[in-house]
Amino acid sequence: MTALAVARLPETSIRWRLVLWLSVFGAFALAACLGAPLVGTTRIDLVQAFSRAVPFADNVDAQIFFIARLPRALAAALVGAALASAGVVLQALLRNPLATPFTLGVSAGAALGSMLAISLGLHVSVWGVSAVTAASFAGSLFAVGIVYALARTHQRRFSTNVLLLAGVTLNSFFSAVILFVQYIANPAEALRTVRWLMGNLDVAGYLPIVASLPLFAAAFLAFAWQPRALNLLSLDEDAAAARGINVVRSQQLAFFSASLATGAAVSLGGPIGFVGIVVPHLVRLLVGADHRVVLPSAALFGAAFLVVCDLVARVLLAPLELPVGIITAVIGGPFFLWLLIRQKC
Amino acid sequence: MSELLQADSVTYVHGLGRRRGRPLPEGLPGGGLPGVHGVSLRADRGGIVGILGPNGSGKTTLLRLLGGLLRPASGQVLIEGRRVGALPRRELAARLAFVPQETHLAFDYSVLEVALMGRYPHLGPFELEGPRDLAIAREALDATGTAHLSSRVFATLSGGEKQRVVIASALAQRAGILLLDEPTASLDLGYQLDIANLLARLNRERGLTMVVATHDLNFAAGLCRSLVLIREGRVLADGPVAETLSAGSIRALYGVEAEVRAHERLGHVTVVPLARSAAPAPSARPLP
Amino acid sequence: MAAHQAEVLAGIRDPGFGIRAAVRKRASLAGCRLLVGTSLLAATALVVTAQQVPQRIISIVPSVTEMLFAMGAGSRVVAVSSYDHFPPEVERLARIGALLDPDVERILALRPDLVVTYGSQADLTTQLQRAGIATYAYRHGTLADIGATMRELGARIGLDSAGSLAADRLDRQLEAVRERVRGLRRPRAMLVIGREPGSLRAVQVSGGYGFLHDLIECAGGANVFADVKRESLDVTTETILARAPEVIIELHYSNRPAEAVVAAEGEPWHSLSAVPAIRDGRVVLLYGGELVVPGPRVARTASLFANALHPEARHPLPESPTGDGTSGKPSRATSRGTPLSPEKCYFFGSATR
Repeated sequence: MTALAVARLPETSIRWRLVLWLSVFGAFALAACLGAPLVGTTRIDLVQAFSRAVPFADNVDAQIFFIARLPRALAAALVGAALASAGVVLQALLRNPLATPFTLGVSAGAALGSMLAISLGLHVSVWGVSAVTAASFAGSLFAVGIVYALARTHQRRFSTNVLLLAGVTLNSFFSAVILFVQYIANPAEALRTVRWLMGNLDVAGYLPIVASLPLFAAAFLAFAWQPRALNLLSLDEDAAAARGINVVRSQQLAFFSASLATGAAVSLGGPIGFVGIVVPHLVRLLVGADHRVVLPSAALFGAAFLVVCDLVARVLLAPLELPVGIITAVIGGPFFLWLLIRQKC
Repeated sequence: MSELLQADSVTYVHGLGRRRGRPLPEGLPGGGLPGVHGVSLRADRGGIVGILGPNGSGKTTLLRLLGGLLRPASGQVLIEGRRVGALPRRELAARLAFVPQETHLAFDYSVLEVALMGRYPHLGPFELEGPRDLAIAREALDATGTAHLSSRVFATLSGGEKQRVVIASALAQRAGILLLDEPTASLDLGYQLDIANLLARLNRERGLTMVVATHDLNFAAGLCRSLVLIREGRVLADGPVAETLSAGSIRALYGVEAEVRAHERLGHVTVVPLARSAAPAPSARPLP
Repeated sequence: MAAHQAEVLAGIRDPGFGIRAAVRKRASLAGCRLLVGTSLLAATALVVTAQQVPQRIISIVPSVTEMLFAMGAGSRVVAVSSYDHFPPEVERLARIGALLDPDVERILALRPDLVVTYGSQADLTTQLQRAGIATYAYRHGTLADIGATMRELGARIGLDSAGSLAADRLDRQLEAVRERVRGLRRPRAMLVIGREPGSLRAVQVSGGYGFLHDLIECAGGANVFADVKRESLDVTTETILARAPEVIIELHYSNRPAEAVVAAEGEPWHSLSAVPAIRDGRVVLLYGGELVVPGPRVARTASLFANALHPEARHPLPESPTGDGTSGKPSRATSRGTPLSPEKCYFFGSATR
């Protein structure tokens, strides 16, 4: 604990803290990504998995490693990193530590898109991207567009109140539409849609990951530019503007990059809850408030967290697979409550 | 003395921000729209200008126009003779710092981190603060008497401490001009005095130029060299404190009868409000 | 939960049921006051006759509807659920909602003397009992429970021998399927009852309990998830690779779509080429809502499964029981005595590529 306290101390230079925490969380993430494919319900022979002697098409060990486990871990890492950093960015943008990547209705839009694709029985997949994935991403863009239009018409700067209100309203509106779609869908499909809402990272291949990679890359690139602006924006908009920050542009960048990351994450793994709030808070507890440390730390820790949660989801009740969203909720719910109680004290 | 910062007949109307460059609608009732209308102001190097006016009179708007945070619909703001809008944001930040009215931080930044934020305009896109920045921030905390708080969480400070830390952050920016929006609004009497003394000292020792928007007439009278009185977005009077602050101007500004007299021990005029004026406050019109 | 899912899966072919039910509800509201009055009168009368043989039966469970028709009680059925489509006679009958949205007013207005409810519909059962209407609570169970239910239901409605007869006929048909595959090697089989369209995510399979599992075993397969005593479970691709089924039967509840769509629906399986079923081209996509209705037609499903598991011993399908014989018109989905045709079944896998 004393080591942690030292690492939090502002006297410790930012450079040192950055190096320290990025190595800690980077090691976490790396260990999770490398370790997760080694763990599973089936005992596999790694020599056999990497052997060229057996053609890949017939190599069960290789397929378990390279199809069932590795892409899953990669997808979990991407989705976890995206949701955690989107959470950090939106919390700073809205100046509300209780905001989540789903606060602004992005996930509800994505959910509606995927509901429609499932209910319409769209089995088409192009380039390894299923219609469900594509539709959910389209749905998230739709939601982002509406929220942006609403928050924009009010004034040039984002009004965080309008943003929050628009997001909350859109969330409940989309939820109602989702219920309606589920009601008129046939029961088997309604069941599939409910299952989708619990999240799933069993991508069984690399194409879905590769297809969403440009979206994640664009979002993370945009994140890299923001930490300083986020620090100043959480101080005061005018003070930020007086320190060389283009407030309107920074807010737009934060809003769109967080939405993009959320949309890409939800379309790849479903609306996996709690990652976007638990991880940022845990990271802030450890590293302090400076977004230059918080944002990359949250991305790395979010990746590690979801990889581990997904590992638990696939081995805990094997051969049953638990929806990963249940695992994150079981860990995240109590943590969140503890956070609220702690805040009250 | 040369004027460092000046506003020439600036107009800005809220809600019409995007009409920039186009003529304002004719026939608007005077001050019917929130904003400022044809306001001029001069701050000399090393001077302290107070902006006085009732709620909603346009004090904050004027301050934001001066800081380049808003662009005037007409008129111009000059800093060292250059148009504020023409200066790159970072160059502007090196000349001018802004102290907001109240600062609430949603996250647990430390006091030193808040002070270091003043160094951001001087860093490259991905540059981190170095030892020199740290030294400047510490010196700024020292100057505001908050060095002992440096590892405290900002959110846990008292109102007066917060305000001093925010001023330290502005000092760390190493700008020649400080724009302060109601620096004492939420502070108790003791902290009000602290802040007034702090600002006077910074002005004396560092030659900082300040423009202060405030409600507090006695605070302004003690601190400022000159005042600009605005009501409904228009200038009622401006000039040296002793000349502008009078029973008549206060009646015109606030609709309040007040006793204004020179205080011997303080060495400046003081204002004691007595009662609401019997007659309704006259509409905004320059005093004769 | 699993039983509930199976029930939900049981009535699949009517995407518009919700809207229609809602419209009906609104229409019936107008006359509801009058109806409540009359049904209360009717209820007092019914208490007296409750012990007598039910003449006006309402079935909210499609599989029980089929059983009633199979034992010759079709003419006594006055209303069915919104999912019911078999036998064709039910299309003429009144609809009273389904598992989640039963229309109590409408049920009362039809003056039934027996209502077959699903076991989980406690509220409905209480309401009906308060109105003095007899109920028969049904739950999906094992394959053996289907015959047992027909016997019990037959006794309940005074058709003891007809119920036994229908049950015996089902037993004979299932026995015939067992006979066909007797002595043959039992391939390791996986029965997929759902997954996310266009991917292998959230693959839901039959566990080692329930009529679907029993049907696999009956049709000469060895369910790779026989050890999991649940009706259904979600499995990962890793589990599928590890359990290495030799045959994968995947149920789809629509009518068979165009060839290209079928191919698209089976496409995601290709990524797991090390699974024997996929390597050997033994992924079988079956289409039809009746596949998950645990009624008299399960014999036909058993035969379909047997054909999928043992193509070497393919066999024409057994006669489908068609209600109480009042209609000889075969249903769209299950023509009488149709042999296994490409329309019902699609063999899929790398071997067909």
